[in-house]
Amino acid sequence: NVFSQKLFNIDKEQVTVSSVLKQIEQSSEYSVFYRLDQLDKNRLVTIHAHQASIEDLLTQVLKGQALTYHVVDHLIIIKPSGASIAPIFAITGIVTDEQGQTLPGVTVKLSGTNLATVTDVQGKYSLTLPSGEGNLEFTFIGFVSKTVAVNGQQRIDVRLTADSKALTEVVVVGYTTQRKKDLTGAVSVVDVKNLNKTASSSVNTQLQGQAPGVTVIGSGQPGEEPQVRIRGFNTFGNNTPLYVVDGIPTQDVSTLNPNDVESFQVLKDASSASIYGARAANGVIIITTKRGRGKVTIQYDAYYGTQVPKSGNVWQTLNPQEMADLKHLAQTNSGITDFTDEQYNPDGKASRYTLPDYIVPAGAKNGDPATDPSLYYVNPNYTSGDDFNNFNRITKANKAGTDWYHEIFKSAPITSHNIAVGSGGENGSYLFSANYYNQQGTLIDTYQKRYTLRANSTFNFNKHIRIGENLAYSVTKNPKVSGNNPDGVITMALRQQPIIPVYDIAGNYAGSYGSGLGDANNPVAIQQRSKVNSDVGYRLFGNIYAEADFLNSFTFRTSFGGDIANGNSHYFNYPTYENKENTQTNSYGEDSYSNWNYTWTNTLSFHKEIRKHDIKVVAGTEAFEEYDSYIGASRQNYFSFDPDYVNLNTGSASGIGNYGARSTSTLLSAFARVDYSYGGKYLFNATIRRDGSSKFSKENQYGYFPAVSAAWRLSQENFLKNVSWLSDLKIRGGWGIMGNQLNLTQANAYYTYGSSIGQSYYPIGGGTTIVPGFYQQQIGNPDAKWEKDINSNIGFDATLFGGALSVTADYYRKDIKDLLFNPEQLGTVGNGTVPYVNIAKMRTDGLDVAVTGKTKIGSDLTLNTTLSVTTYNNRISKVSNSSSYFYSDISRRFDVNMVRNEVGHPIGQFYGYKVVGFWNSQDEIDAANAKAVQSSGNPNAVYQNDVKPGRFRYADVNGDGVVNDADRTFIGDPNPDFTAGLNLGLTYKAFDFNILLYGSFGNQIWNNVKYWRDFYASFETAKSYTALYDSWTPTNHNAKAPIQELDASTSSGSTPNSYFVENGSYVRARNAQLGYTFTNLKKAGIQKLRIYVSATNLFTITGYKGTDPELNGGVLNFGIDEGTYATPRTYLIGVNVSL
Amino acid sequence: CKKYLDKPLTGALEGPLLETKEGVRDLLIGTYAVLDGQQGGDAAIGGGGAWEASPDNWIYGGVAAGDANKGSDPGDQTPIESIQKFTTDPTNGFLNSKWKADYEGISRANLVLKTVAKVNGYATGKKENIIAQARFLRAHYYFDLKKMFDKVPYIDENTTDFNQPNNVDIWPKIEADFTYAYQNLLGQQEDAGRANKWAAGTYLAKTYLYEHKFPEARAIFETVVTQGTTANGQPYKLNDNFEDNFRAATNNSAESVFAVQAAANVDPNGISNANNGDMLNFPYGDGSPFGCCGFYQPSIDLVNHFRTNPATGLPYLDAYNDHPLKTDMGVSSAQDFTPDQGTVDPRLDWTAGRRGIPYLDWGIHPGNNWVRNQAYAGPYSPIKMVYGQAAQGTEGDGHSWAPGSGINNNIIRFADVLLMDAETQAQTGNLFRAMELVNMVRARAANPAGWVYQYKDPDKPTAGFSDQPAANYKVGLYDMSYFATKESALKAIYYERKIELALEGHRFFDLVRWGIAAQEINSYLAFQGKFTQDVRGGRFTAGKNEVYPIPQRQIDLSGAGGSPKLIQNKNY
Repeated sequence: NVFSQKLFNIDKEQVTVSSVLKQIEQSSEYSVFYRLDQLDKNRLVTIHAHQASIEDLLTQVLKGQALTYHVVDHLIIIKPSGASIAPIFAITGIVTDEQGQTLPGVTVKLSGTNLATVTDVQGKYSLTLPSGEGNLEFTFIGFVSKTVAVNGQQRIDVRLTADSKALTEVVVVGYTTQRKKDLTGAVSVVDVKNLNKTASSSVNTQLQGQAPGVTVIGSGQPGEEPQVRIRGFNTFGNNTPLYVVDGIPTQDVSTLNPNDVESFQVLKDASSASIYGARAANGVIIITTKRGRGKVTIQYDAYYGTQVPKSGNVWQTLNPQEMADLKHLAQTNSGITDFTDEQYNPDGKASRYTLPDYIVPAGAKNGDPATDPSLYYVNPNYTSGDDFNNFNRITKANKAGTDWYHEIFKSAPITSHNIAVGSGGENGSYLFSANYYNQQGTLIDTYQKRYTLRANSTFNFNKHIRIGENLAYSVTKNPKVSGNNPDGVITMALRQQPIIPVYDIAGNYAGSYGSGLGDANNPVAIQQRSKVNSDVGYRLFGNIYAEADFLNSFTFRTSFGGDIANGNSHYFNYPTYENKENTQTNSYGEDSYSNWNYTWTNTLSFHKEIRKHDIKVVAGTEAFEEYDSYIGASRQNYFSFDPDYVNLNTGSASGIGNYGARSTSTLLSAFARVDYSYGGKYLFNATIRRDGSSKFSKENQYGYFPAVSAAWRLSQENFLKNVSWLSDLKIRGGWGIMGNQLNLTQANAYYTYGSSIGQSYYPIGGGTTIVPGFYQQQIGNPDAKWEKDINSNIGFDATLFGGALSVTADYYRKDIKDLLFNPEQLGTVGNGTVPYVNIAKMRTDGLDVAVTGKTKIGSDLTLNTTLSVTTYNNRISKVSNSSSYFYSDISRRFDVNMVRNEVGHPIGQFYGYKVVGFWNSQDEIDAANAKAVQSSGNPNAVYQNDVKPGRFRYADVNGDGVVNDADRTFIGDPNPDFTAGLNLGLTYKAFDFNILLYGSFGNQIWNNVKYWRDFYASFETAKSYTALYDSWTPTNHNAKAPIQELDASTSSGSTPNSYFVENGSYVRARNAQLGYTFTNLKKAGIQKLRIYVSATNLFTITGYKGTDPELNGGVLNFGIDEGTYATPRTYLIGVNVSL
Repeated sequence: CKKYLDKPLTGALEGPLLETKEGVRDLLIGTYAVLDGQQGGDAAIGGGGAWEASPDNWIYGGVAAGDANKGSDPGDQTPIESIQKFTTDPTNGFLNSKWKADYEGISRANLVLKTVAKVNGYATGKKENIIAQARFLRAHYYFDLKKMFDKVPYIDENTTDFNQPNNVDIWPKIEADFTYAYQNLLGQQEDAGRANKWAAGTYLAKTYLYEHKFPEARAIFETVVTQGTTANGQPYKLNDNFEDNFRAATNNSAESVFAVQAAANVDPNGISNANNGDMLNFPYGDGSPFGCCGFYQPSIDLVNHFRTNPATGLPYLDAYNDHPLKTDMGVSSAQDFTPDQGTVDPRLDWTAGRRGIPYLDWGIHPGNNWVRNQAYAGPYSPIKMVYGQAAQGTEGDGHSWAPGSGINNNIIRFADVLLMDAETQAQTGNLFRAMELVNMVRARAANPAGWVYQYKDPDKPTAGFSDQPAANYKVGLYDMSYFATKESALKAIYYERKIELALEGHRFFDLVRWGIAAQEINSYLAFQGKFTQDVRGGRFTAGKNEVYPIPQRQIDLSGAGGSPKLIQNKNY
């Protein structure tokens, strides 16, 4: 026996035996083993040990007891003296998983003792036991623990089976971890494997349909983050959830490589989320990234595919001849008798409109001397107005019609390559990953190229001290366009007439320049010109941390992390010449931003099991600081447009613009949580957080956010224990308060004054010099305090039939009080920025349900099914003291806004007149007017303004006999009744198949595409079949659209009305994947090889006629279609290789 | 740790820092800066499009009363169409933008008054001159509100509750501010763009005129006409050339009494100081050198007003539409067209661009090609606020999607003063002086030096003009037979205002204060509707449409405790 050279110094009187033994364990590497029935550990002894050996010391400790000891390696065995020196029992073995892969890091412990070890990288363990008796416990996260009786065996190999997740899975929650089955709050644990079946750069996009309680609305644009809402609406402003990535809070996970994600939890209710206090109200998403495990593995995942835009005549566009016919119809309907037309009938002699050969010069026929190409002159890179004024454009008519949709939407490739190298064992772990993601947009010249690198490592100093870091660096290039913008490029494509070709006779751009060709801009030109623009963003995100265990039950953790994000962009605005409305100046600009933030978190946690009591306490502090800044500059009038020449120095001296700003804010917090369980049967949780924010005035700086919840595992009660089909049943309930301050600015509490050229400069001297002036920028509200989201949740988790079926359901209710809103002020107050005040109120309730089933059919076929259902009902209960509603969205081309947020209604509802039919004759109009005169007593009264036969008849909602502003009403709701995701997974031998169906039901869409295309008078845009073939005429009263005419009217398309509202329900095959796994390639050094084919958006079932019923938008304006970037269908082939 | 939450505000100042002479100076500039109704970024200062709060009231004073058609396409800016047809309801967002722009001006003026009260150390009269400027500006904004909406809430520097009722006539408040300004402002100011004593006097007299207090108005007008000077010290007089009132090169001429100062190309991010409110009002179409937008098209009815009797050179006061000008309606630019050969007032071609006539130095107006939708809004283009070609680099401003210009927007010019003076003279019995004043304005128009001439070379319009008048111009002066009675004198004066000040935003408000809005506007709508679609179905309702409705949004916002404090105007 090799005795330790360690010498002890202990000098104590009247101490317990156990405390001395504990001190020995703590100050040396020895573990002391004894039996409670043999040792009186509470006996008081006196120790005088100076430079004493372990033998000397133990002799003193055991004095007066008939005991002796035996030291083997680092093991001290105490036993009755006189007992024969039992043979020291050495045991070894290997731990593997079900597939035979060795498992490092498995804890092997002799039951009822501290005697334990962990398996090494080869999965081997060896342990010296006091005897060949007792039981060994093998525990490892993610696997079912196993207990094996030693029974004198010297080698015990163990095969661990992976957890049946539902019951033993450990999930990361606020500042701690919990077994999933012990959760008392509403937490959706997302299956990361399913996430990664959707090819995307964004975990948010992948989240659609995967978690009950989470609504995700995306678009087809690369890099455009979808709208993520957890349990509907929480505030009138920013509703983005808080993401906590490896413990670091952030609002932006767009740069997170989805391949790096290890776990993904959604904290939905107060009891789970309010420990994040001030930032919890929108819900919290906790993400952890992968770390290395086991022997060195190299994992390579890649896919390549093509994205295909919708085919066919997507917007049901008339061809050029039909466009001419429609014009004729509209003119006829408007009483025009002279059908001279510059394009279609230049000499006025023809009886019907025919197409010209050229649109510029207007109406020219082949052979017209004005079309002689030698007369053509356009200088696309012109720099002077004089030059521009001398252009002589010649453009052929495209008689077949230009398909503008498919001029800008083309099939585009998508690819991702991801490599991860990792390893982990008792000394630590590392993981490096690199990802290259390149998604070209189906809209030309949009794309996302992203490079991400990650290095996660942990170092285990010893058994009790760990340090580690998680760091990710990303470089992103992502030029985007704005969707649903009435003047955006997609809307330009739906506005541009089909007779206009993309290019003129010389190959320069053609456009709306010319007679009767509308006012849209050439969308191809817009995109192609944007090629010289560039933007790139760089981001470093991550943290470093250290953990120390002490006094057995305590762990101290400190983590410092955050974000450094910066980026720059430059753009060149070419002068245009092909459009009706041209920009004649050229300009160049650069913008850059530089932001950072950090979060420093310190927590102390305590965990102890005392018989059936399991208590876990975490307390901590957190400090957060952020700094944002940006600068930009622009110049004009470049001599040359060569992208290599153009920079901020080379523009002309006049028209120099520059701007910039910076801001900073802080949060300071303290928090605590307690989790208590009794026998796994009665569970209780309480959290509290105190947040201080620099955005509030001194008096209101701090807010308190408490929460409590409890759960009862009924299935453990005697009356249910014997119900064989019920494996687990737990009911849960919770209440708490979450906070919000996202929408505030640092200036909110103050009256501030500033100076800006547009607002307050004036050329007072009468010359061309402007003089700065001051104006009130911000109205102050020192009384603003924390917005409170008071949240209640009840739910249950049930596992049936031995895990074959599990159900989780939650009902919640959120009462938002003191909602921070900046209600419009009376005009008499003046124009300073209205501060946020705690004025509004809102309520949201709903149901989240998840059902998971696992069925084995025969020996080879398994079916995994997950259904998640989300509902939310949102009601505004107060807007401000003075008004009961506010508008959102822009008014587009209407006379008033159509999105109205009003007390008693959900956010985002559509508002306008209700169409009840057409006015079919003047008699009908006269009769209605006569009635209006009668009912109002006003001889000039009319029933409805601006009517004539063929226009809409509106409902007299208030029944006062006339239709006026008071009869506008709520005519549509973009909020779905419910959304649902259905994941179906099938495995058959080496094949696996997975399909995700996603559906949204009961939501309505504002189809503003109709504004441009179903009304002849809506500018001279391309029109729809409906306008020509299904509009009211004196002989067709049973029509869809009103009469086509030259007038725009509030009784047809120029005011919001129910004509624009459509049912937006849909079911979509979000993705489908078929894979095959090769299992016999180990000899070739390949652990695992899987290949798959996959399709995204394979089909969509919907009654909606537009390009895509899934419409991304803002917080308060969504479900609006005015040229959306539709999600394409994507076909992929992919591979997963493990080496 | 407590300090951890002390984070500074960046890029803004708190109030006390402005309580200095320099702070007051800059707050006053900020008050002037609201005159243009703009906040930059093509937005009106209270939100909405730039044009919704244009200081020249081209929508509310011009389109609404037949000076011009809305223009552009039917679907474009439909709230304006409902204003020109008098079908608008209180929810029309344009009215709210206009309301908010004026109250922002008032709020800034009040801030100057509150702040200057805390600052001392001014030389004698200096503080009063500042207070007087702030009160002048406040009265200007209230005047604008008063003529638009009639009853409006009154807020001054002592008001703390901004939810005030609109149950009081504010003319006395406006009078008080202008009176103080008239008494305390300097005649000559350090900057040409400031309000001076004479601008205040004129505005006070104009206030009296609107109140039908003719003797009070007359007394001041007479003083202003004889003694008044511009802020830069020039005695008031009519410019020799009519067009010099609308050229950036002659901004702040001797005829300028008070003008919104404009400067082109001073804001790299837009046209915020360059007549942003008029950005839509440029010819539009093939070959038009302007990017946008084809609004504010002079009406056929207006153009017919410029017909003169070939013998006398006087207008047909009642029967102008019986002597219509030939139009190019329905004629494409490719087809031949000869412009009207009859006699016209030369001011026509500085007011309305028409086919076949030189359009400033841009070339011969090509007719239909520069008009967005002839059948909808007629064949004419606006001119007064359009910059010329030779000067486009300095007077035009291309920093936005539609043009800006450096042309000052006249609030009051001396010709306006003469015609207002003529009104007060006629109303108080001095018909001869009334005639003299009208004839002063006509004599300037008659001076051939100020006419439009053919180009020397039509292919090089910037090369200058020949001595061949562009049309058959003839202007004569009135004799006393036209001014024999108050009624006939007023008829001539009203007509002169129409043609001299056409498209300068006065017409609607003039018609209302004269009490003839219903008959004039309804006959205009009937006549114009024969040619252009846009006004068909329009009807002015007497007893209602003389004022615009109080914006519904403001009424809704004044609803503390359920019942709104603001009361809607009659019959809305």
